[in-house]
Amino acid sequence: MGAESIPRMPVPLTAERAEAMSQRLIKKHHVAIMLLHWFNATVWLTELATGGALISSPHFRIAPYWYISMVQGFFGTRANMLRFHITVGLTWLVVFLVYGTFGFRTYLRREVVENEVKLDADDWRWLWVRLRLILKRTDESLPPQGVYNAGQKMFAALVYTMIPVIMLSGLVMTFHLVSTPLVQWAIVAHFAAVGMIVSGLMIHVYMGAVFPEEKPAFFSMLTGMVNELYAYRHHFKWWQEVKMQEQIWKREVIEEKPEAPPAEPPEARLTTEAEPPPSRPQSRLGSLLQRTFRAPEYWPPYVVGVGLGLTLLASFVIMGEGLGASGGFTRYLVAILAWISPHYVAANGYWSEYAQPGQSPLINFLVFELIGVLLGGFISGWLARRVRFAVDKGPHVTKLTRYVMALAGGTLMGFGARLARGCTSGLALSGGAVLAAGAWVFMLAVFAAGFAGAYFIRRFWL
Amino acid sequence: MSAPFAASFSVTTYLATALVLGLFFGFFLERAGFSSALKLTAQFYFKDFAVLKVMFTAIVVAMLGIVYLSLIGWLNMSQVYVPATFLWPQLVGGLLLGVGFIIGGY
Repeated sequence: MGAESIPRMPVPLTAERAEAMSQRLIKKHHVAIMLLHWFNATVWLTELATGGALISSPHFRIAPYWYISMVQGFFGTRANMLRFHITVGLTWLVVFLVYGTFGFRTYLRREVVENEVKLDADDWRWLWVRLRLILKRTDESLPPQGVYNAGQKMFAALVYTMIPVIMLSGLVMTFHLVSTPLVQWAIVAHFAAVGMIVSGLMIHVYMGAVFPEEKPAFFSMLTGMVNELYAYRHHFKWWQEVKMQEQIWKREVIEEKPEAPPAEPPEARLTTEAEPPPSRPQSRLGSLLQRTFRAPEYWPPYVVGVGLGLTLLASFVIMGEGLGASGGFTRYLVAILAWISPHYVAANGYWSEYAQPGQSPLINFLVFELIGVLLGGFISGWLARRVRFAVDKGPHVTKLTRYVMALAGGTLMGFGARLARGCTSGLALSGGAVLAAGAWVFMLAVFAAGFAGAYFIRRFWL
Repeated sequence: MSAPFAASFSVTTYLATALVLGLFFGFFLERAGFSSALKLTAQFYFKDFAVLKVMFTAIVVAMLGIVYLSLIGWLNMSQVYVPATFLWPQLVGGLLLGVGFIIGGY
C-alpha cells in the first residue's frame, strides 16, 4: 500500500469513489470554535432584537412601533431593556477578551489569520471567476479553495473589522466616555458597524441555513465534521492538506509497526472513529443524537456543569429555592414515622416541624424532586447502557467491607447533613450559588475533611 | 410578573415542576458519572477532578444567571431562599459529611 498520490488539481471522480468519499467524515471545526460560533450567534440575535427596539426616536427608528412596544412590554420598561442590552454586550466583550487572550495561540492565530482572512492568488481569482459566473460571462471552473473560500474570507474580514468598532462604541455609550460629541459619534459608529455586519450576515445565514449545496457546512458547525466529498469539491486545497497529514500519520504508524498487516483500507479505519456502526441509514441529526446520548462515555465535566447550572438556575427562578437532597429524605422518614406514631413525631421538636397538622410532609418540592432525580439518573444511564447491578469498590476490599463502609459513611453523612441543615446539593451547591456564607464554610469543610481523610483510608479505595 | 413563580402555582403544578427539575438534576448527575463511587472518591486521591469541575461550573452558571436576571428585574431576589448561616454546626456538619463521603464513597 504505497502512498497514494494526491492530485494537484481536482480530477473527475468515479461514482464509487465519490460515494466512498461522501461516507467518510473529516474534522473541520474544533469544539471551541463551534462553541464560540453559537455563543456569538445567540448574542447577536438578542442584541439585534433589543437594539432594534431601543432605537425608538421617530427620526431614526428602524423597527415598526408594534415591535418596539412588544419588546419593551417584554422587559417592562425601556431602562430594563437597555440594561439587558448592555449586560449581554458586556458579557460578549468579556468572553471574547478571555477567549482571545487564552485561546490566541491555540485557535485564533491559525484559525483567524491563516484560514479565515488571508487572501491568496487563488482567492482573488475565485472572486473574479465567481463574479463572472454569476453574470454568465464565463463557464470556467472555480479555482481550488482552502478551508474557507474567498467569499467566506471577505465576510470574516468584515466581521473582524466591525467587532472592535461595535465593542468600543458600545463601551463609549455605556460609560459616557470622554465627551458628549464622542458619545454621539459612537452611536453612529455602533449603528453603521452593526449594519455592515448584518448585510454580510444575510448572505452568511442564507448560505448556511438555506442554500442546499452548503448543507454540510451548516452541520459541520454542529458536529465539527464534514464529508470528504464536500471537502474535495468545495475546499480542494484544504482536502489536499488533510490528505497530506493522513499520509504522514500513516507512514509513522507503518514505520513503527512494520509487521502489522494493513488489513483494512485507511478509509474504513478513519471512519469507524467518527461514526457509530451504521446498522441502518441515519440522518445526520440522528447520528449526532446517537453520539451525544447513547455513547458509553460520560459527558465532559464542563458541559455537564453548564447543564446542571442551568437546571439549578431554573429551580431558583421557578421555585424560589435551589435543588437539594437530604431534606427530602428527612421528609420521607418523618412521613413513615408519622404513619406509625403521629404522637411520637408531634412530640419531637425537630420532626414536628416537617409534619404540620393537616399537611402531609410529602407535599414538598424536595420530595418530588428526588423522585425526578431517580428517574432522570435512570434515563441517563439507560440511554448510555450503563444500567447494571454492581458494587463499586476498591480492588483490595471485600464486598462485605464495602457494605460496612457504605453504611458507616452514610450514617456520618446523614448526621452531618442534618446538623448543617443541608447536604452537598442543598447547601453546598444551591447555597453556594446564592453566596450563602454558611454554604461556603460547609463546602470547604467537606472538601477539607475529604482530602484529609482520604489518606488514612487509601487502602480501601486504591 | 416576576420570578420566582412557585407562589402562584397549584399544588399539582408545583409538584410536577419539582419532578421535572429533579429529572434534569438526576440526568446531569448521572451524565457526569456521579453514580460511580470510584469516580467520586477519585478526586480525593487527585486522580479525577470531575466533581469539582462540574460543581463549580454549575455554581458559577447559576450564580451569573441569578445576578443577570435580578439585574434586569425578572427575578425578585428577596423571594429566593438563601440558607441561613450557622457557623459551627455547618463547619462541624461539613467535616462529618466529608469524612462520611470518603468512607462511604457517595
